[in-house]
Amino acid sequence: MTSPLPFFLGLDIDGAGSHPGAAAVTGLAGADLVAGARLARSVRQAENAGFTFATFADALLPTAPGAPSSARLESVTRAAFVSRTTTAIGLVPQVPTTYPEPFHVAAQLASLDIATTGRGGWLAAVTRTPETAHAYGRAAVDDLGREARDVVQVVRELWDSWEDDAVIRDVATGRYIDRDRVHHVDFEGESFSVKGPLITPRPTQGQLVVFAADGDVAPSAHDERLVDVAIVGGPDVASARGAARDAHERSPRAAVELEVVLDAGGRTGAERLAELAAATPADVRSPWGTGALRYVGDAAGLVGLLAELAAPGPDGTRDVDGVRVLPAVLDVDLPVLQRDVLPALRAARVTAAPRPDATLREALGLPRPANRYDARLSA
Amino acid sequence: MTDHARVPGPAYPITRPAAQVHFGVFFQGVNHTTIWSAPESGSQTDFASFERVIRVAERGLFDAFFLGEGLRLRESRGRLHDLDVVGRPDAITQLAALAAITTRIGLVATQNTTYNDPADLARRLQSLDVLSGGRAAWNVVTTDNAWTGANFRRGGYLDHADRYARAAAVLSTARRIWDAYPDGEDGEVARVRVPGAELRTPADVAIEPTTPRSPQGHPVIFQAGDSPVGRDFAATHADVIFSAHGSDLADALRFADDVRSRVAAAGRPQDDLKIFPGTSIIVGDTPDDAQEKARWVRYHQVTPATALSIVGNIWGEDLSGYDPDGPLPAHDPAVEELGGERGSATTGARTREIARQWRAIAEEKQLSIRELVIHTASERGFVGTPASVAEELVRWVRTGAVDGFNISPWIVPSGLDDIVDKVVPELQERGAYPAAYVGDTLRDHLGLRAPSTGRPAEARGTHAARLVRAL
Repeated sequence: MTSPLPFFLGLDIDGAGSHPGAAAVTGLAGADLVAGARLARSVRQAENAGFTFATFADALLPTAPGAPSSARLESVTRAAFVSRTTTAIGLVPQVPTTYPEPFHVAAQLASLDIATTGRGGWLAAVTRTPETAHAYGRAAVDDLGREARDVVQVVRELWDSWEDDAVIRDVATGRYIDRDRVHHVDFEGESFSVKGPLITPRPTQGQLVVFAADGDVAPSAHDERLVDVAIVGGPDVASARGAARDAHERSPRAAVELEVVLDAGGRTGAERLAELAAATPADVRSPWGTGALRYVGDAAGLVGLLAELAAPGPDGTRDVDGVRVLPAVLDVDLPVLQRDVLPALRAARVTAAPRPDATLREALGLPRPANRYDARLSA
Repeated sequence: MTDHARVPGPAYPITRPAAQVHFGVFFQGVNHTTIWSAPESGSQTDFASFERVIRVAERGLFDAFFLGEGLRLRESRGRLHDLDVVGRPDAITQLAALAAITTRIGLVATQNTTYNDPADLARRLQSLDVLSGGRAAWNVVTTDNAWTGANFRRGGYLDHADRYARAAAVLSTARRIWDAYPDGEDGEVARVRVPGAELRTPADVAIEPTTPRSPQGHPVIFQAGDSPVGRDFAATHADVIFSAHGSDLADALRFADDVRSRVAAAGRPQDDLKIFPGTSIIVGDTPDDAQEKARWVRYHQVTPATALSIVGNIWGEDLSGYDPDGPLPAHDPAVEELGGERGSATTGARTREIARQWRAIAEEKQLSIRELVIHTASERGFVGTPASVAEELVRWVRTGAVDGFNISPWIVPSGLDDIVDKVVPELQERGAYPAAYVGDTLRDHLGLRAPSTGRPAEARGTHAARLVRAL
């Protein structure tokens, strides 16, 4: 029997932290909050801690309208910036499916995957705020799941629009590419169409790893698995495990989203959480507290919770393959995770740090997909 | 091609005796001028190729590293064009990765105003600008055709006449987004509202920016259109014009006169717009070595198949059965206006007129198809010894024809090595090239004034304040 895959651990890296009051309690705002040096330091710390991947939460609209503490840079640009300052950690920007141009999204993410030599992922997110439609000067999308389905579908087709060996450099005939291995995708969605091919060759992993909240992306019309890693939440461990078990019907991997507020600096997690809540501006737009599992307490308790999530069910298979940790305050919670949580999980052989130069697919035990347009496969 | 070492040009007056030569590098990614068939031709896709080029450029104190963009792969008569290097990264994503491994060089992303939304595009550009510490630039390009629009949600929604109006509206919206943040931690972030009629969007646009300002205020604006309306756009809005006038000094001086008068007409100081033609540089230890290398480069750029393809695009038919070492087709092009070559700058050209000119040149000089294409379609640029090329570059800058050169390496990733190792020292000996970067931002490298913004004069300098300083 082969040993189970390491339980994977993702960490969200977003400004001062995932709690909407994080910027206020740390006093960070504007350019200081989003500086490149700070971003690179945080991601390097997550890599040194042994996290499997970093996610980069994002939204076009500010968390607190009008407030300089809501400064945030675009997620693919952030992920790309750390692509060459890291060697092992997966980089997974959150990019919406609802309003952006899918052709641009496909090229941006393919470029991220090539720059990281195969450590790229995509947290595909639906946008529920109608004000975002105003920023594009368009009507609000009403069927978010259908739009997400079409966008993920066409992005995956565009990633395949160049076969791996399309560049042939055939001096005898003067041909740089074999045009029979570069394809129009001719995608017809409900609200848009895309001709293709992509301007960027096939990503290093063939397809980036696609993450999405379970249920956000409507099922494919062609019976294709659109989401590789489904993200679930729940008020307690039992319900999160149940949601993950259910998500495995649709996706090969399931992760639990976990909000974390740890005891640190002589203060309990509960005290810190109360302070964060008090510092949070009114009317914020934030996913914090909207359905993720939450842990508030000391490091040992978190180690126990993660080991419990990683434990196999009665049939010997795991319900939960990993977690995406949302640290309340990055500079406070990440050092505790690095010092007291991840080493204990590695010692217990629950998890393992990703190997340098491994792809994100390899770290998650996902195979490199064949190309849907490769005629040799169907011949 | 011109041998600048042997053929002295007319004596144009030196109007700027202390002017310095500036360099940018254009990593083309799509074009027949990048040689892919030589043993030293590297990958066009691997990050390592981009890293090698930008590191050499930064060692050579270049102002900027420049990436192009085309939003649909080129096609000829319905089939993908397969003879040239093709397949390139998204520019802003790639430049963000390069930003972390460089410290001074500017990062120029070509981005289209027709098929981007300002809320998204301005945010991505400012993200690059903040992360790079104020080294980002945007080369503003437009598209109008439905053929490119087939890759996008809105399709071909824009008339030809509206493409620059949309571009101006996208740029002015971007500048308002870039200005939205207060300088300190106090104060409100401004909201940006633009009528849909200005941006050609179905509804009005309302943006709540999240991106604070970078050390250079706004990303630097490049513009490359050469039509009268394109030149006026640059004269009104751009910091740098990326021109096509980089091979003939008389032509470059005419171009400089024209754009500087347009800059003045737009109410700006004439030196507000920097002129950077695209060009190529080929050096050899002796004049003969340089000529020999140039000949090798031209024959590798214009392969037999490429020669037949370029002539075939003017004739509007497949000429791949012709002998590339034989004469041009005896018949005239069947189609009067070029349309079959999609995604190429020559679309819309008058085919019979071009064919008549080509036939005249071929007959006069006794040229085959391939020789003719090398003669007419090659980027000529600068060929000579490091010293003679340096002399010529200095002359271009000090006669006021240009402010710098955007160099396209003819091979990747080693194509800048000779320029940095041999030409730059010659320029430095002549006191015409810096010995170190003096500033931190791209705006510093280019000697640009603070951006024109709607912010208070005491904070950043209004257009009027800049004019006063310039006088």
